Amino acid sequence: MVEVHLSGVFPRSEKLIDATREAVRGNLPQAEVDMVLRQDIESLVGLQEESDLDALVDGQLNWQDLFRPFNQLLTGIDLGSLTRWFDNNTFYRKPIVVGKVSLKSNEIEPYFRSDLLPKVSRKKAILPGPFTFAHLSENRAYSSFSDLVDDLARALQRVVAALQGRGYEYFQFNEPSICAPGRTQPELEIAKHAYETCAHGIGGKSIIQIYFGDASQVIETLLDFPVDSIGIDFYATSVDSLKEYDFNKILGCGCVDGRNSLLESPKELKTFVSRARESLEPLDIYLTPNCDLEFLPETVAEKKVRLLGETKRLVI
Amino acid sequence: MKDKLFPVQEIGSLPKAPWLLNYLRGRDVGPSGLDHLSKWSKVSGFENESETRTILAEPKNAVKQARLRELASIFAIRYLESAGLDYIYDGEENRIEMYEHPVRNSGGFEFYGHVRSFDSRYYRKAACVSKVAFRQAYHLDEFLLIKQHAKRRVKVPITGPYTIAEWSFNEYYQKQRAADYTDFRKLKFEAKRDFVLDVAKQIIQPNLKALVDAGAEWIQVDEPALTTKPDEVPFFVDAYNECTAGISSKLSVHICFSDYRLLYPHILNLKNCSQLALEFANRDDEKRSAYNQLKLLNEFGDNREVGLGVADVHVDKIESPELIQDRIEYASKILGDPARIYVNPDCGLRTRSWDVAYAKLTNIVKGAERARHSLS
Repeated sequence: MVEVHLSGVFPRSEKLIDATREAVRGNLPQAEVDMVLRQDIESLVGLQEESDLDALVDGQLNWQDLFRPFNQLLTGIDLGSLTRWFDNNTFYRKPIVVGKVSLKSNEIEPYFRSDLLPKVSRKKAILPGPFTFAHLSENRAYSSFSDLVDDLARALQRVVAALQGRGYEYFQFNEPSICAPGRTQPELEIAKHAYETCAHGIGGKSIIQIYFGDASQVIETLLDFPVDSIGIDFYATSVDSLKEYDFNKILGCGCVDGRNSLLESPKELKTFVSRARESLEPLDIYLTPNCDLEFLPETVAEKKVRLLGETKRLVI
Repeated sequence: MKDKLFPVQEIGSLPKAPWLLNYLRGRDVGPSGLDHLSKWSKVSGFENESETRTILAEPKNAVKQARLRELASIFAIRYLESAGLDYIYDGEENRIEMYEHPVRNSGGFEFYGHVRSFDSRYYRKAACVSKVAFRQAYHLDEFLLIKQHAKRRVKVPITGPYTIAEWSFNEYYQKQRAADYTDFRKLKFEAKRDFVLDVAKQIIQPNLKALVDAGAEWIQVDEPALTTKPDEVPFFVDAYNECTAGISSKLSVHICFSDYRLLYPHILNLKNCSQLALEFANRDDEKRSAYNQLKLLNEFGDNREVGLGVADVHVDKIESPELIQDRIEYASKILGDPARIYVNPDCGLRTRSWDVAYAKLTNIVKGAERARHSLS
C-alpha cells in the first residue's frame, strides 16, 4: 500500500476567511481569529485521519505565504513588495535579504502546530527549500547567490532539528524554482550543495517537492540530491519524459490537481499510479496533490483529501 | 478619430462611490458618504446631487436602487470629464468587478467559495462546469446609459476571454477531452485552449456585437492575465481573432503587470487591434527604464497605437505634470511617432481614494498638455 500525504498549504475555511478579513478591518481581536484558526486545524487533522493519510500536516493555515514565517524566525530578512507566485493569480511578499541570514529564534510553535497534531500520529513539516527561498528573494546583502543559499540551508537545518525535537518525521522542502524554465547546471549544483546541509542527518524522511514546472529538465541532477523522496507535479511533467532515468528515490506522485476543482476519480488515479510505477520503478511511492491545495476553495480541497484516501485503498 | 496629440483615456475602474456601497449594503450612508457626494458633485458639476440625496434618505426599494446605480454611473462620468479626460467610461461603478461580473452574467459557471489572492485578501473563483453560454449582453444597459450622458467620447472596457478562462477552474472542457493518463499536462493544456476559444466565441463575441450594434465606437479588451502562462499566449491570439472578426468598431487590448516580451511575436497576429494599452509607471525609475520596453514594438515592427501608462495606480504619490510630460516625451522618442501615443494611468484606479485618483488624472491631463505644447 502506498503512503498518502498532503504537500502544502491548505485553504482556510469561509469562517476563517471572514475572521481574518474582520481582523484586518480592526473589527475582531486576534485572539478570536486564533480560536477559529485552531478549529480549522483540528478539522483538517480530523479529515486527514478519516481519510487514512499516513503523515499529518497542520495545513499552515496562518502562513501568509511560504516565506513569511521566516521573516520572524530568521535574521536578515525584511518584507518586500507583492509579487506573483509563479503562474498563479496569487501573490507573495518578496523577502528582502538585508543582512546575514541565521536562525534567531527557536520559537517555531506559532508556525508548526505540533500541539494540535495527535501525539501518536506521524507528523510532516513543510518548509521553503533554500534554493527557491534565495531565488525568489531580493538579495541586498550577499555578494554571491550561493553564499545566501548556503546560509538559508544552515538556518533551515536548525529549524528541522527543532522540529525533530517536537516529533516530526517527514520534512518536505518546497522547491518550485528548481524546475522553473532556464535553470542552469551550476545553479542546480548550488541547490544540491545546500541539501547536503539542510537534509543532513535528518532522522526521518526528507522530501524535495518540485512543482509548477517540468521536472524532466532537471531530474537527472535531482536524482543525485541527498534526499529520500522527490515530489513531482504530474500536471507539469509527463511520466514518459522521466522514463529514461533510474529513479532511485521514493516518488512523490503529485497526481491530484491542486489548481483545478475538477475531481479526479480514484480509478483514474489508480491507473495513473500503476503506469508511473511501471515506467519509473521508484523505490516507493507517496501519493500527494501536485502542490498546495490552497488554490482551491476549502470545500473542494476537502473532497480532494477524501479522494486521496479512496485512491490509497485501491492502489496496492 | 484622434484630433490631437496625446489624448488622455480612462483605462479601468474607479473606486465605488462610498454612498452607493453603503446604500447597497443596507448601511447608513452617514455624513462622510454625503460629504463625498457633495464635494465631488461640486467639483465635477454632477447635475443630480439633489435626486441622489433624496433616494439616499428614503427607504430602500428595487426601483430606487436601480436609479441610484444609474446616478452613480453619471456621477463617475462627470468626475472623469471634469478631470479633463478625452475618452471616458463610468469607472465601472456598477460592475461587481472585472471577473465576477461577466462570469455571473454568463452560463456554464458555478462559484464554490473563496481562494486567497494574498495575505488575508481573497476572491471568488468560479468553476466552468458546463459549456459556457451567452445569457445576456452584460454591458449593454450600462453602455447605453453612459452613451446617453457622456459629453466626451466613450471607450467600453470588457474583460477578455483569456483572463476569464485563466481565472476560472476548468472542469467541463477537461472532462470533454479523453484523459491521457500518462500526460495530465497535455490534457490540461489542450482543455485550456478549448475553454479560452469557447469563452471568446460563446460569450465575448455576442457581447461585442451587442455593443457595436448599440453604437460603441471603441471597445477595450482587458487581459491582465495574458502572460501568466507564456505557452498560452497563442490561445489568446486565436480567441481574440475569433471573437473580433467582423467587429467594426475600434478595438484595443489592455495588458498590465506583465512581461511584455512574452507577448511577442504572437501578438503581431492580432488582426483587429488598433492599440496596446500597457502599464509602465509602476516599474519606472529616474532613467525612464520602464519605457525602454517600447523598443520591443520597434524590434518586431509593431506599429499600433500605444496606451501609455504614466501614473502608478498602486501608490498614493501623485506624479507631477513634469514627470508625466517627461515619460510621454521619452516614449515618443522611442516610438518615433508621437501620434501613436494615447496617455492613461497604468491600470484602473479602484484601489486609490477619489482624491488621489483625481489628482493623478488631472496631472496626467496637464502632463499631456505640456508634452503636446512642447512637441507642437
